[in-house]
Amino acid sequence: MDKEEKMGVEDQLEMVAKAFVNHYYHLFDTNRAALAPLYHHTSMLSFEGQKIQGAEEIGQKLAQLPFEHCRHFISTIDSQPSPFGGGILVFVSGNLQLQGEEHQLKFSQMFQLIPTQHGSFFVQNDMFRLNYG
Amino acid sequence: MDPDAVAKAFVEHYYRTFDSNRAGLANLYQEGSMLTFEGAKTQGAQAIAAKISSLPFQQCIHNISTVDCQPSGPAGGMLVFVSGSLQLAGEQHALKFSQMFHLMPTPQGSFYVLNDIFRLNYA
Repeated sequence: MDKEEKMGVEDQLEMVAKAFVNHYYHLFDTNRAALAPLYHHTSMLSFEGQKIQGAEEIGQKLAQLPFEHCRHFISTIDSQPSPFGGGILVFVSGNLQLQGEEHQLKFSQMFQLIPTQHGSFFVQNDMFRLNYG
Repeated sequence: MDPDAVAKAFVEHYYRTFDSNRAGLANLYQEGSMLTFEGAKTQGAQAIAAKISSLPFQQCIHNISTVDCQPSGPAGGMLVFVSGSLQLAGEQHALKFSQMFHLMPTPQGSFYVLNDIFRLNYA
């Protein structure tokens, strides 16, 4: 058996998590308006303690964040299966560079991804926190 | 009961137990529980308790800065997202950390930890 055939469910899950994270932050950094389709009407976002529900409102919140451009630099991605729902829990840490700012901000974020009928995932839960120095 | 209050109560209980009686954490996990601690994966209450008990320090104190929570789905679970700092006995500087828990209800009306992911946030 070659290595790929031996790849277990957990490894596949990790690949999905990594692919999602890269896609999410790439969109965030290049085209924030395109994030809304990653959420559904049941989705929840906690952004620095502020709670927002539903794809439309979440999309608006993200689009209205008080900066034009930013860049996420990802340090760690951890994932685990989320039983009783078939989802994936993803835990990210890294740095955030805001345009014009001298120093990067550290952040952590967690997602619960739920599979869609079409074989992809949507974000059901999203919690973001800056980690102050 | 207010979910935010439940999450806060759980977090306080968890870190108080961690800081005073690490072996006592075993009761908060079950067979299907998963822990990822600084990238190292462990499964099952016994193995998780052994992992936590064997961490290379005697005393520590967790100081919690933020607790966020959201319901995880129809099974009644709760996602809890914590950030704070960790003071190890004898170390001069506190370490910053983030942790997420996925809590599931027990028949007795409390919660156990199904998923647990811990990361230090280096400077």
